[in-house]
Amino acid sequence: MLVGLPDTAVREAKDRVRAAMASSGYHFPSRRVTVNLAPADLPKAGSAYDLPIALGVLAASGAVPYAVTQVVALGELALDGSVREARGGLAAGFVARDMKAPCILAGIAAGQASLVKGAMVRSIGSLSEAISVALGESPGGLVPDLTDQLIEPEVDLAEVRGQSYARRALEVAAAGGHHLLLSGPPGSGKTMLARCLPGVLPRLSDDERLQVAKIWSAAGRHNVPPATPPFCAPHHSATTPAIVGGGSGMPVPGEVSLAHRGVLFLDEFGEFPQPVLEALRQPVESGYVAIARKGISVTFPAAIQLIAATNPCPCGFSGDPVKPCRCTPRAVDRYHRKLSGPLIDRFDVRVVVGRPDRSGLVGPPGESSEAVRLRVESARAAQAERGSLNRSLGRAQLDALAWEPEAVRLFHAAVERFAVTGRGYDRVRRVARTIADLDGSGAVGEAHAAEALGFRGDW
Amino acid sequence: MNPDELLCLAFVGMHPDRRRQLVATYGGVGGVLRGVREGRVDVPERARLAALVDPVARRAELAAIGVSIVMRGDVEFPEHLAELPDAPDLLFVKGTMASDRGVAVVGSRKATSYGLGLARAYGAALASSGWLVISGLARGIDGAAHQGTVEVGGRGAAILGCGLDVWYPPEHRGLGQGLLDSGGCIVSEYPPGAPPLGWRFPPRNRIISGLSAAVVVVEAARHGGALITARRAVEQGREVLATPGDVGRSTSEGCNLLIRDGAIPVLGPEDLVEAISLILGPPPVPSEPVALVDALVDALGPVGRTVDSLAGTLALPVSEVLAHVVRLETRGIVVQSGGVVSRRRGPSPAIGMDRTRAGESEER
Repeated sequence: MLVGLPDTAVREAKDRVRAAMASSGYHFPSRRVTVNLAPADLPKAGSAYDLPIALGVLAASGAVPYAVTQVVALGELALDGSVREARGGLAAGFVARDMKAPCILAGIAAGQASLVKGAMVRSIGSLSEAISVALGESPGGLVPDLTDQLIEPEVDLAEVRGQSYARRALEVAAAGGHHLLLSGPPGSGKTMLARCLPGVLPRLSDDERLQVAKIWSAAGRHNVPPATPPFCAPHHSATTPAIVGGGSGMPVPGEVSLAHRGVLFLDEFGEFPQPVLEALRQPVESGYVAIARKGISVTFPAAIQLIAATNPCPCGFSGDPVKPCRCTPRAVDRYHRKLSGPLIDRFDVRVVVGRPDRSGLVGPPGESSEAVRLRVESARAAQAERGSLNRSLGRAQLDALAWEPEAVRLFHAAVERFAVTGRGYDRVRRVARTIADLDGSGAVGEAHAAEALGFRGDW
Repeated sequence: MNPDELLCLAFVGMHPDRRRQLVATYGGVGGVLRGVREGRVDVPERARLAALVDPVARRAELAAIGVSIVMRGDVEFPEHLAELPDAPDLLFVKGTMASDRGVAVVGSRKATSYGLGLARAYGAALASSGWLVISGLARGIDGAAHQGTVEVGGRGAAILGCGLDVWYPPEHRGLGQGLLDSGGCIVSEYPPGAPPLGWRFPPRNRIISGLSAAVVVVEAARHGGALITARRAVEQGREVLATPGDVGRSTSEGCNLLIRDGAIPVLGPEDLVEAISLILGPPPVPSEPVALVDALVDALGPVGRTVDSLAGTLALPVSEVLAHVVRLETRGIVVQSGGVVSRRRGPSPAIGMDRTRAGESEER
C-alpha cells in the first residue's frame, strides 16, 4: 500500500518493485506493507521513486542491512531488476552533497548529479548493484561525463555582414544586459543578429551553469548547458504555460526559465498574444516566475535578457527604400498600438535594422563575437563594482550617477525636441551609462549621451 | 451663364464629362438644371433634391464652412485653367485661390521611402523657391510633396476628388490645415459632402495639370492616377518631368516610360529648380546660401541615408556617427525616421536654435 498523494506512475511502482525484486532474487514480504512518501501533503509524480521504495522495503523486511537506506537514490525499476534513469538527477546530487551521503543513480542522471561539486555519485545499472553499492561493497559503474555536450552551434558575429548600427546596438545591449528591440523589414538579418547575442555575453560561471542545469533537469532535459548563455526562441503560437511554465500536476519550467541567465528571443513580437506578453512582465521585472496550481506553488528563476524582433508594419516594408509598403496607414497605426504596452517599455535599446546594402554584403567580415565579448566583459566588471547591472538601475540610482554637465544639457535639449517621457528618459540614461562603461569612463559624457539617444527608437 | 444656376447644378455632383454632354444636349446650364429638377435627367433622388435647394441658402451654407466659390470669368479664376476646353465652370475653394501657374508634384499612392523622401524634397525645393506646389493630397507621393511644402512654409494647392468638408484620406486633415495656414488653398469641383468615389479622381487630375505649368512625376507604376495626370498635361500643352528609377522596378516603371516618351528627366531637387526656371523664369525667391558646413549633412543627399551607410561613407565608427546624428537632431537640422536620417526641411532652424542655445548657456 502506498500513501502520500502518489500519482498513477507512483502507484504502479508496487508492481514494478515486486517484479524487480523477484528477478533480482529477493522475496517481496508476504504481508501488508505500507510505503509512506513524506511529506504526505505534497503530490508525488513519476517513476523515480521505484528504486528508493525497493531499497526501503528490502531494508524493512530485513532482507538486507538497514544501511542501504542511508543513501540518496532515484531510479525507475524495470521488471528484470535493471534500473533506468529518472528525472531529477541534479536535485539528487544537491541533496546528497548536503547530506554527505552517497548518491545512487542510473545513466545520464548520474552524469547530471556529478556536476554538483562535492557529491559522491555512484552509477548503477540494476537493483542488486544498487544494494551492493549502497552497502559499500562495490564502487559502481562509470559516471557519464556530460560537460562537453553542446546544444546547438552558435552563430558568430563575424558572419553578420554590414549592419554596423545593429551590431553596435547588440554590443551595448549585451554590455548593460538591456532588453533589445530590433525592427526592420523581412530578410534584414534580425534573427541572425539575435542568435549572436549569447556569443557576446559573458560566459556562465560554474555556479550559473549549475542553476541552469537544475532548471533544465526539472524540465526533463537531460543535456547539460554549455558555458554559453542559453538561447530560447519560442514561436509566437506558443501558449502561456509553454512560455512562463506550468502544466497540469507538477508545474514544469517554461521557456523563460529555460532561458534563465541567457536570452529569450521573441521573433515577430507583435504576433504574440497579449496574455503571453502580460505573463512575461513578472519574470522581466523580478527575475523569477511564480506558478500557483492546486495544492502547490512553485517559483522558478527566470533572469532573462529579452530580444524582440518586429516588422516596421504588417507587410514589413514600411521604410524600405526599394519595396513600397502595402499597408494602409490605419493598419500601421494599429500594429504600433499593439506593440505598445507595459512590456515594450522595458526595451532600453531599440534599433532599426535596414537591409544591408551591397557594399556591406561583399565587404570584409566584421569583428568576431570573441572580440566584442571581451569589451562586454570589461563593461560588466565596471557594473559589478557599482553593484548592479545597468538594466536594473532605477530612477534614484540613475540620479546618483556621475553625469558631465554637457551630457545633461544634451539630454535636456533632447527631452524638449523629441518629447521624451519620464520612462524614456530613464531608458536613455541607463543606456548612456552602459556606453560609458564600454568606453571605460567613470562619468557619463556628452558623446555617450548622444549615442544613447540614437538607440531610443521611433516609439 | 447664371451663377445661381451653376451653383445649383454643381451640388448635383455629376461626372464632369456627363455634365458637359448634358449642357450641350439641353442647350445650357439652365436647361440641364430644369431637367434635373423635373426628373427628366436621370440622377439619384438625393442629387435631384440637392438641385432644388435655394442658391441663397447654399451660399450661406458654404460661407459657414469657410468655402468660397470661384467661377469661370471671375477675376480669381486662373486664366491658364480657363483656357482648357474641358475647364470646370465652378470651383469650391478653401483658402486663397492662387492665380499664378504652379508646379504639380504627383506620383503613386503606394510609394517607397525613397520616393516619399524625394517628393518631400521636391515640394520643399519648389516652395522655398517661391513657386506654387500643386498636388492631390493623396497618400504617398502627393502627401509627401505637400508635406515638404508646408515644412518650408511655402504655398501649395491641393486639388481634391471629394467635397472640401470630407477629409480624404483622414490622416491628411492636419496636412490640409497646414497648407491653408501657410497661405495655400484646397480646391474641388465637387460640392461639399461629395464622398471620395473612384470615378471622381481622374477628372480631378485635369485640374491639377491645368493649374500647373509643369507636372513632375516622382514615382509611378505603369498604370495609375499619376500617369493620367501626365497624359492630361501633355494634352494641355504642359511640360512633363519625371525622375528616373531602376529599370524593372514596378514603382519606377511609369516614370521611366514617360522619360522614354520624351518627358524631361529630373535628377534631384536642385536639378528640378533649374528645370522649372527654364519654364517659369527665375525663382521668385533666390535660394539661400547653405549656412551649415557639416560633412555628415553633406553626405545625406536629397533623400537621406541610413546610419550604416553614413558610417561607411564618412569612414567613422558607427558610435560616433550615431552620436553626431543625435546632436544634429537635437538642433533640428536632421531627422531620423524608420532608420533613415534625412535633412529636416524648414526655414533654417539650425541657426535660430543655435543662437538660443548659446544665449541660454551664457546666462547660466
